[in-house]
This record gives sequence, C-alpha cells and structure tokens, in this order.
Amino acid sequence: MSLAHAPLERGETPLVRVERPNIWAVVFERELRDLWTGGRALVMCFAFSLLLSVIAYLVATNTDLNFLEQRESVSLTLQVAIAVGALLALLVAGDAISGERERGTLETMLLTPAPRRQIAAGKLLAALSLWLAAFVVTVPYVWRLGHGVGIVAEALAVGLVVGTLLAIFLASLGIVISVFSGSNRFSLSLSLFVLLALFAPSQLPSSAEQGWAGNLLIRFNPVTAGEHFVGRIVVNGHSWSEDASWLVSPVLAAVIFAVLAPVVAGRYMSLRGGVSE
Amino acid sequence: MTPVVEARGIAKLYGSLVAVDDLTVAVEAGEVLGILGPNGAGKTTAVRMLTTILAPSRGSFSVAGIPHTRPEEIRSRIGVLPESAGYPGGQTGEQYLTYHARLYGYPRGRAGEIARSLLDELGLLERGRSPISAYSRGMRQRLGIARALVNEPVAVFLDEPTLGLDPAGQRQVLRHVRTIARERGAAVLLSTHLLNEVEENCSNVLILNRGRVVAEGTVSDVVSRAAAPRRLRLQVAPEETDRATLVLAALPAVQQVELSESQTGWLAVELAAPGDANGGGPAPNDVLRALLDAGLALRSFELDGTRLSDAFLAMTGAV
Repeated sequence: MSLAHAPLERGETPLVRVERPNIWAVVFERELRDLWTGGRALVMCFAFSLLLSVIAYLVATNTDLNFLEQRESVSLTLQVAIAVGALLALLVAGDAISGERERGTLETMLLTPAPRRQIAAGKLLAALSLWLAAFVVTVPYVWRLGHGVGIVAEALAVGLVVGTLLAIFLASLGIVISVFSGSNRFSLSLSLFVLLALFAPSQLPSSAEQGWAGNLLIRFNPVTAGEHFVGRIVVNGHSWSEDASWLVSPVLAAVIFAVLAPVVAGRYMSLRGGVSE
Repeated sequence: MTPVVEARGIAKLYGSLVAVDDLTVAVEAGEVLGILGPNGAGKTTAVRMLTTILAPSRGSFSVAGIPHTRPEEIRSRIGVLPESAGYPGGQTGEQYLTYHARLYGYPRGRAGEIARSLLDELGLLERGRSPISAYSRGMRQRLGIARALVNEPVAVFLDEPTLGLDPAGQRQVLRHVRTIARERGAAVLLSTHLLNEVEENCSNVLILNRGRVVAEGTVSDVVSRAAAPRRLRLQVAPEETDRATLVLAALPAVQQVELSESQTGWLAVELAAPGDANGGGPAPNDVLRALLDAGLALRSFELDGTRLSDAFLAMTGAV
C-alpha cells in the first residue's frame, strides 16, 4: 500500500494507492543492516570462529582425540558447526519480537499497515543470515581437516543442507517463542532450554540407538536425526538416498515451522506477550 | 462536517476490570481534542483502541469512515506517537523515518524524500544523520511526531507527547501539535494529564475518570459546567484585614477565611459547597456585597474555579 504524499486541503482524505510492496523485504533489509552493522552478528561470528578453531585444533592435534579417523574429525567439526550455527539463528530469532517489545519499538511497528506475517518473515530471514555466515566460516576448517580423503565437497554439501534445515526449524521456533514471550529474558531462556532438550538425546549411549525407542527418539527429533545423517554420509560414506529417511524429520520440522511462524505472528503478535516470566 | 474519528460506546474489559467503558467521541478534521484524566483513567487504553492496537470489547469506531473491523486500512490513515515509544539507538533519524515510510509502502527514493522533508519540518534536518542514541528526549519526541506523519495521516494520536520534556521542549512539541491540526488539517487527539496543555492547545476536551467519560465539550463549556467557584482571594487595605475577616466569617456562605502571611492585605476565602449545612452555597456576589456594605474598599478580587484544572479536580475527585 502506498499513500500519495501531495499537500492536502484541510480535512481532505489522502488518496490510497495499493501497490502490494514486499514488506518482508523491507524488514529483512533493515534487520540485516541492524544485525551486521550494529556489530551483534559480527561478535557472534567471531566467537563462533574461535570455538571452531579450538575444536579443529584439538581434533587435528590432541593426542587424546587424534585417534579419530580423518572422516570422523570432519564429521565432528561439521556437527559442532551446525549445532552452534543453528543456535545463533535461534538466539537472534528469539529476540526478534520480544526484544522489540521490551525496547518499546514493537508498538510503532504494529501501528503501521505492514502485515505482521511479513514482519515475522523478514525477521526470520535475517536470523538465518547468522547460520549462512557460520557456514561460510566453517568451510576452510572442513577443507583443512578433510583435505586428501575426497570428502570435502560432500561434507560441505550435507552440512549446508542439514544445517539450513535445522536453522530454519530453530529460527522459526525462536520466532514463535518470541511472539508469545512477555520478556526477552524469558524468550531467550526458553529458546536455549528447547535447544538443549533437542540435543540431549545425542548424548544417549550408542547402544540406546539400537532399541526401537531410542531409534524412534533420534529419528523423530529433527536435531539428532540431522546430525545422525551427517555422520552416516561423512563417516560411513553412505549415499544420500540410502539414508534419506533420516532427513524426513528435519525437512518436516523446517517446513512446518517455517509456515507456522509467520501464521502465528500474524495471529498473535501483539503489544503484550502471553508469558512474562 | 463528517467526523474523522468517531467512536460509539467502545469499551475495554480485562475480565472483571473495566479499563474503558462506553466511550463515545467524534473528532473533526482540524480539531484538537484533549483527552484528560488522572493516572489510570484509561487514556492510553482509549488511544490504543482507537489506533487498532487493542480490540474493543464492545462498541464500534471508525476512522475516515473505515470501520474498526478493517484495522490495516485504519492504520494506513492514522499517525500515532505512543506513550514511552522506544527508538532504535543505532539508526539515524533519517534511516528511521525512511524505514517507516517504506513500511507504509513508499518506494525507497520517495521514502527518503519524505524523511528529509519531515526532519526539516520538525527542526531535525541538521541531526538527521546522527544516531538516535545521541538525540535528547525532546528531539526523540519530535522524531516520533515526524514518524507519525510519514503517511500524511487524517488523524494523529499523541499519547503524552510532552512527558519528561523541559518547558522549552514542551513548547516546541505543542507548536507542532497545533501545526498538524491547522496546516495539515488532521484531526488530533492529544492524551495528556497536563491541564494547561489542553487549555492552551485544544478546541475540545474529554475528561476520563476510572474509564468513564465524566465531561466533554469545549474547554469553556466543561469549565462552566463543572466548576462553580469554591475559593476566592481578595485584597483590602492592610489596616482593614481584621475587620474584613470578621465580616466574611459572619456570612453563612463562607466556610473559612485565611489571612495571607506572605502578601499584605490578602485574604483567602473558602466558600461553602452547594447544599452544605452552613447554608447558601457558593455565592461570590454575597461576599462582595457584604464587604461593600461594611464600607470596605476592595483593591483586588480573584475567583478560583474558573480554570480547567478546577473542573478537572471537581470531576475526577482528585482534590
């Protein structure tokens, strides 16, 4: 929608001209600029690269860890990169609405005719930029660790696909949590708790995966299923089609939550969140 | 003239708590309506309902003829400065206004032009490229007003726009409020608890108390309806203050007489309320007549209760 901005006669109603602009793109551009030029995303990426450096150094040199076969080193580094990269996207998304609410800037946004679904979509896409940046940072580490065994390209491809699916799922989940949270602290705490809960089954002993319950838990949970898929492709050298069933849960979670987040925002984004603390 | 903003019996209930009840109001183009009320009277809730941020529990309203059931269309026609609005400190004033203009659908170039034009109009052009974090509170309020104007609104809602500003900042903001109504022809709804703001800037006033409208009309109408004078101050010759006190104390319409300690010859007289056991009720004329009959020469005479503040206090019981 666009309004003519010509000077008006006293009491005259301005002409409304409908143009159907892509408000999500306007919000995305603004959020991206605030995230990256404001320095928040850069600090997160710097911390991410430090963490990855330490992990890569340890798996490559540490005598306790260097029993790892080269493929396992790549898989471990990739799994850490996916987990932390998705966490960054989740943190930014968790702040998207509740943060604006807390800073008092949400009301002015809600007072515009911008559709709330599109506001949420723009914020979601901006949050995903953190994952993409994390992936770009990961590339040289994977290249260095996997050099010489012919798995670099496949490892990066599987990392990009699984990481993107999990980042979409978690960032969308972060938006949903943020819509209902009355305070930023609550939103971020709940987001972190959910993330830890999703990662918890990955700590189960490998024997637990053999039983039907453990297997179901790992397959049903998009995070553990995605990480499992990465391991099977990179470490075991399986083909994608052979283990495609492990991708069902991450794909479903990404699609469902990517659709759900804007719908929930459109319906429930308001000045007061439902839960404060 | 058809009202730009028209509400019919709108109410907002939170369970058994009634935040606003049966609010009926009409504001025409170019009119400034002052919404007055003590803290918690329901001013902000009323503004939030009329600006579509809160849905009314009952009743209906329209803006520029658009019913409240089409909130997105209403939002495209109104401008709002919310109470305690936050600002992104990292953005410049120009970026902030451009962004908001783009949220209303303006293309990038036009949005930038609108931002610069409004910064100029609100006296912020020189600081347009400074981060908002470096703005004073008064500058932020003016930036908020500029943001409320990016879509050339037909109705502008300002919720406590002068809160926390120094007198110079208040004057600047109020000058812009008058300009919005006079030159842009917008209907302005100014919510405040500062009575002099309403008295000096509003054509009409609506007083809310505990969510209900207790008075509405022009400022003079409201004052004359609500505020029969209860107090008066008068000055006699310093050597005649004792005699004047005796004369006044004998009148049934007078409840109390006090001699001013700081101003020589001045007496403060409190009149009995209507229906008081003391008789009569407020009768400034009786006081004057009694003094003149006693041969006392009056040097000065002032009636309290002829200002909006007196009406406000009488109607809200906030004495």
